[in-house]
Amino acid sequence: MKHSFAKHVGWRAFTAAVTLAAAPAISFAGDGTAPADGRIAYVTTDMYWGVYQTADGKAECPDGLNKYGPREVFAKLYPKGGTEIDTHLAREALKYYPEDSKDNFPMPEARGPIAIGLNLDGKLGPNDFTSPTGEKGIDNALYRVIGCSPQFRGPEGQFRLFGNRLVRQLTYNRSMIELSGVDSLRNDDSVQVTILRGLDPLLTDAGGDKIMPGGTQRVDNRFSKRFYKQLKGRIVNGVLETEASDVTWPWAVFFGNTNEYRFRGMQFRLQLTEDGRAEGLMAGYADVDTFYRTVMGWSTHHLSYGQLDPSGFWRKLWQHADGYPDESGKMTAISSAVNIYMVQVYLDRGEPNIAVSQSR
Amino acid sequence: MRNYIYSAFLGVAAAGHAFAASAPVAAKEEYVRAPMPAGIQVIVTELEGPVFADANGKTLYKWPYQSLRGGYVGDEKGRSTCTSKVTTTSEGLFSPYPPGLVLPHLDTRPSCAAMWPPVTAPEDAKPVDRWTVITRPDGSKQWAYDGQALYTSVLDRQPGDVLGGTNRDQLRQMAGRYPVGPQPKIPPGFSVVTTFNGRLLVNADGYSVYASDQDGPNKSNCRATCEETWKPMLAPALAKSDGEWTIVERAPGVRQWAFRKQPLYTYNRDTSLYSQQGSDVPGWHNVYTQQVGPLPKPFQLIDTQKGVAVADANGKAVYAYLCSDDSLDQLSCDYPGSPPEYRIAICGGGDVDRCLKKWPYVVADANARSDNRLWSVIEIEPRSGRLATPGEAGALRVWAYRGNPLYTYADDVEPGDVRGDQVGEMYGQRNGFTVLWVRDDFSHSET
Repeated sequence: MKHSFAKHVGWRAFTAAVTLAAAPAISFAGDGTAPADGRIAYVTTDMYWGVYQTADGKAECPDGLNKYGPREVFAKLYPKGGTEIDTHLAREALKYYPEDSKDNFPMPEARGPIAIGLNLDGKLGPNDFTSPTGEKGIDNALYRVIGCSPQFRGPEGQFRLFGNRLVRQLTYNRSMIELSGVDSLRNDDSVQVTILRGLDPLLTDAGGDKIMPGGTQRVDNRFSKRFYKQLKGRIVNGVLETEASDVTWPWAVFFGNTNEYRFRGMQFRLQLTEDGRAEGLMAGYADVDTFYRTVMGWSTHHLSYGQLDPSGFWRKLWQHADGYPDESGKMTAISSAVNIYMVQVYLDRGEPNIAVSQSR
Repeated sequence: MRNYIYSAFLGVAAAGHAFAASAPVAAKEEYVRAPMPAGIQVIVTELEGPVFADANGKTLYKWPYQSLRGGYVGDEKGRSTCTSKVTTTSEGLFSPYPPGLVLPHLDTRPSCAAMWPPVTAPEDAKPVDRWTVITRPDGSKQWAYDGQALYTSVLDRQPGDVLGGTNRDQLRQMAGRYPVGPQPKIPPGFSVVTTFNGRLLVNADGYSVYASDQDGPNKSNCRATCEETWKPMLAPALAKSDGEWTIVERAPGVRQWAFRKQPLYTYNRDTSLYSQQGSDVPGWHNVYTQQVGPLPKPFQLIDTQKGVAVADANGKAVYAYLCSDDSLDQLSCDYPGSPPEYRIAICGGGDVDRCLKKWPYVVADANARSDNRLWSVIEIEPRSGRLATPGEAGALRVWAYRGNPLYTYADDVEPGDVRGDQVGEMYGQRNGFTVLWVRDDFSHSET
């Protein structure tokens, strides 16, 4: 079927994957690709967890999609109702103490050979995937956990739909990267990448929906220190690649919460395009404890839309954790990938850092 | 389980002992004087500003009709749904939980009207200005303001208490009750919102209004490049000075509002509502119609990833607990003496010991005192959270804000951590914990 592969993975992810694969074919006009002062910045416009999908889901989810979310579990466990304390509050309690759960409702895992992501450990392991473009050794154990969860699948899963929409809407999520020391946006073996956070709305086209390059963002010097990071990187045939580093990344949802993800060994691989965009992957080992907390930052109401039951999800995360063992050998992080899209932006560094709380 | 209305009474009494003499109040918010029914008065409160109160000084509240995920609750205009009937089962107003679940402690559960006594009106009461009289389901008469039935709260004990609810965004209960007051005395084009720091002056769109130290009394020194960043709040040609509000003539025919002799501006770089970002610029300040007193010792302010939060002596973020139940009455479950099972489910998974470890109370030392009534020291029985009886063994002295205990979160380990923020149902606003935010640069920033 024509464009069937694109339909499987979704158009945007397909475009990004193909762009990355075809990187050598892309060239910047002439040799004058160095940005002014060797600096160029990009602001995040879209993000969603890397979930490889086929049209009917049967290839990656032969057991079907997950059916047991909070609503379904409740109906199974308490068909005759009960007291608030023994039912409703008991289920909410498990969200924060999932280890107390005695449930064992089925939660299908994603299978198949293909997943979105990067080879994080530089090895070809038995549990590794192949990328949609054929790269071997892809580490994305998180995909096994979320790949068959309606909550994370496109286009209407809550984490895909709202999670992405709120990247645009909330300035809390205004993550940016600035590249400095850039001699060429096509090939440069040493650039510095700084992760920052902005304070302003995104620049849109006249329709108000499409995010345009060329906007301006004030840099937040005060409240974003935990997100600030400097990485070493290089540009190869227009693709930015960074070293692996531990990064905390803001990704809030409704009601102005303070959600964040912590990645161990996070690295970018982003295609820099001539029209001022940076698109590709942010991949690393997501700290399991933080990941679970952040997912639980969504209300049970919203988790119910995608049949995501907290305690079952918690068990699967720890079961598939595959990186950063603690002293006892227990894995504390899980390999993962995020599809990320950015547009070029000018930075307004504004006032100097404010050291003293001025809150009145 | 002790009757929790009774516990609430004890609570305020205990808290009262910890109040120091009121600190001198610098300025209070002026309000529009309008006709009121006999027996109704206005009290200017510390946080909410001017509120209506009954003859005994008890604050008046409304319960507006509001949408929740599973239906509507509250009073439509012109009628009261808060009655003397005790509800026994949940209403299923928050998915995914169905209706019909048996509510806790039915033996002592109060009715809506017991928690929220209606403000009764004489049989022959007549409407006054925006005050009207409605007929309750039992045939009695009740005062309404702007059509909303009015109530007092059993949690309020002293004139000026506003413990039944708040208009402050962050600590508003979902489908809760809110204090009702007269209009602030401000010109058209301005508004006032309740914030942690006090009553913040904003423009009609919600953007903050600022004043500069560089200006003189009723004199603006913001010219040229200054005006590129700070936009004067212009007054219409027909506007006249009135009380605290005066008009500064910037140029012939160009008139600027001043409040308490300070020329007023908006900040061109503000992109979010109720912003405090302009106050980061040296010499510039947000403007309040009235401010709350200083934080009591040992509390301090810390920077976090979202803004400024209140922290304890060790720099750990401080949390309040909010709860309302899933009944048609939407009764609070977050004050000392209310059913503790809601909180213990969230903080300890039903285990009190885990609760005490994971969400410890902010303990007050023997000399702890507050100079204002927003903050107090109360004695509680720590396992249930109810107020302790005088001399009760094992009682704990803890800090409270607006009458309810405060907590820290054990998993906050790094400076600026707020990992417990919004832990609980529906982003912590339904049955959960929320940081005491002083400044939030991101919540009102949706574009």
